[in-house]
Amino acid sequence: MTDWYFANLVLIQATLTGLVMALSVQVPLRMGVFSFAGVGSYGVGAYAAALLVIHMQMPALAAIGLAMLLTAVIGLLLGLVIARLAGLYLAMATVAFDLIIGVVATNGGTFTGGSTGLYGVLSDFTMPMMFILTLIVLGLVILSEHGKVGRRVHAVRDDQQLAASAGINVRRYRLAAFVASGALGGLAGAMNVMVRSTIGPLDIGFGLIVLALTMIIVGGAMSWKGAVMGAIIFTWLPTLLEFVGKWQTLLYGIIVATAAVLLPRGIHGVFVDLTRWWQRRRREPVAPPPAETAPEPDLEPLMTGPTSGTASSTSLLGGTA
Amino acid sequence: MSSVQPTESATPVQAAVGTPVLELRDVAVHFGGVKAVDGISLALQPGLIYGIIGPNGSGKTTLIGAITRLTGLTRGDLLFDGESYVSAPPSRLVDLGVARTFQTVRLLPDLDVARNIQVGADARGGRGATDGPAARESVGARLKGLVSGGSAPSPAVAAAIARTGLEGFERHYPDELSYGTQRRIEIARAMAMNPRLLLLDEPTAGMNQAERAEISALMRDMRSEGGLCQLLVEHDVQMMIDTCDYVFAMNTGRLIAEGEPREVVQNPLVQEAYLGRKFREHA
Repeated sequence: MTDWYFANLVLIQATLTGLVMALSVQVPLRMGVFSFAGVGSYGVGAYAAALLVIHMQMPALAAIGLAMLLTAVIGLLLGLVIARLAGLYLAMATVAFDLIIGVVATNGGTFTGGSTGLYGVLSDFTMPMMFILTLIVLGLVILSEHGKVGRRVHAVRDDQQLAASAGINVRRYRLAAFVASGALGGLAGAMNVMVRSTIGPLDIGFGLIVLALTMIIVGGAMSWKGAVMGAIIFTWLPTLLEFVGKWQTLLYGIIVATAAVLLPRGIHGVFVDLTRWWQRRRREPVAPPPAETAPEPDLEPLMTGPTSGTASSTSLLGGTA
Repeated sequence: MSSVQPTESATPVQAAVGTPVLELRDVAVHFGGVKAVDGISLALQPGLIYGIIGPNGSGKTTLIGAITRLTGLTRGDLLFDGESYVSAPPSRLVDLGVARTFQTVRLLPDLDVARNIQVGADARGGRGATDGPAARESVGARLKGLVSGGSAPSPAVAAAIARTGLEGFERHYPDELSYGTQRRIEIARAMAMNPRLLLLDEPTAGMNQAERAEISALMRDMRSEGGLCQLLVEHDVQMMIDTCDYVFAMNTGRLIAEGEPREVVQNPLVQEAYLGRKFREHA
């Protein structure tokens, strides 16, 4: 077991950072906010943490905390600017944000290391820290899917008018989605640079957006379980497909496309459907409310007056029958 | 109450005095050149059931949208308990005590019946919550719910379920239920908000006569229990007569009649709005 752990340590680390990054896209998506800003925050968080360690010799946890704070604030500001957008327009705006971060990193001169990035980010970060941080974040996300907050997230995503009528401040929830996305993305990027000790523009490119989206589309967009499954599958799949050699990318693409077509709600959605099907089978049949079994009467008398109505029957034309 | 002449007979509504729960003053909603609502003034007293009738496109649902602040006003003022809320966001209305149902069924498909209704009960946390600790869901309660696979409905939800006859459906999902049952869930959700003003936009659409009678009886039950004011938008004239204390009739965005339900229904202007002048002449 220990041998397996050390032999696959890099993949385990990639799974954890991939999971947190996937959550940075999934959390807003669960609130109906189609935003990829978490990927841009990943880049900002990685560079910020790297700079804090390199230039200020800051301890890892402090650097990660400050990086998360920075990306949360950036998420809030971004949300204030673009939260009114929706759907594809919002997605495009956040993709533009991600690409801008990449351009700034490339053209940041010695500050960001230019196209080669930053090296030698040596910190006191340990694997137990990484596990604990990931578990804390995962725990908070799980809590947000249950109880009052969970129900309200459903309402904000599925029906904003209904949500407002139920006393939910939709704008506040959408802004919270941007903040949470920023903080999660920042954490993922900061943790990644702590274990890799390097970060460059190529690490935060368009491919990262595709990876995050693939993880949650195939795993399932509506639950942390989907993000976990997606992160595990798409971190380990390239390694498992090494035996096919140069056809690896093609096979990877076929698997992703097939999953997207056959599992529109992701792998987690299949489990949800199976659970509901099983619950329906086990459930005692409930008699419909008594009124539902009553026959539908002829509605014409309501408009033209009943032929033998009660004393209270009144029509639009005929007065009291 | 409005510029429209009321019917001659005095009604309990006209006798009612005091600050209205809801008052509309010259409310207008225009969409470009279309005057969906155009200068409506009315006042609703607590403890009574009001109705709005009118043909399709007369502005009833737009008026409900304006009252609930989901539709912006072109002009006019909205008052709740005598205080203007015309600039309040829609999410604040629950705190005032306003709950509504929608013209089309709007349930959350991924939540079961109990949790759909709980969304309504969640809203009452800031205003006279009677659920006690159940209304303020702690982290501990949520963890317990995670372990048990879903917490039991709160008292407010259980009460709303019992009153709308939804016992046994708590763990069903909306897509497993009939249209009429889905309508009941909507009403239960609104009731779980513990409102002072309940707006029901065609709550019996798609229901058979027996179901409509049940909803009507439910509304009368709620009236008898306290100061709840209800405003019902319906096409079913018979239900309006059986249920409402006072009815407003609308056409082309304006009030054309108001008063005791039976008299409003027999008003020539109302009959003409529904059926057309020629139809009435030949009837």
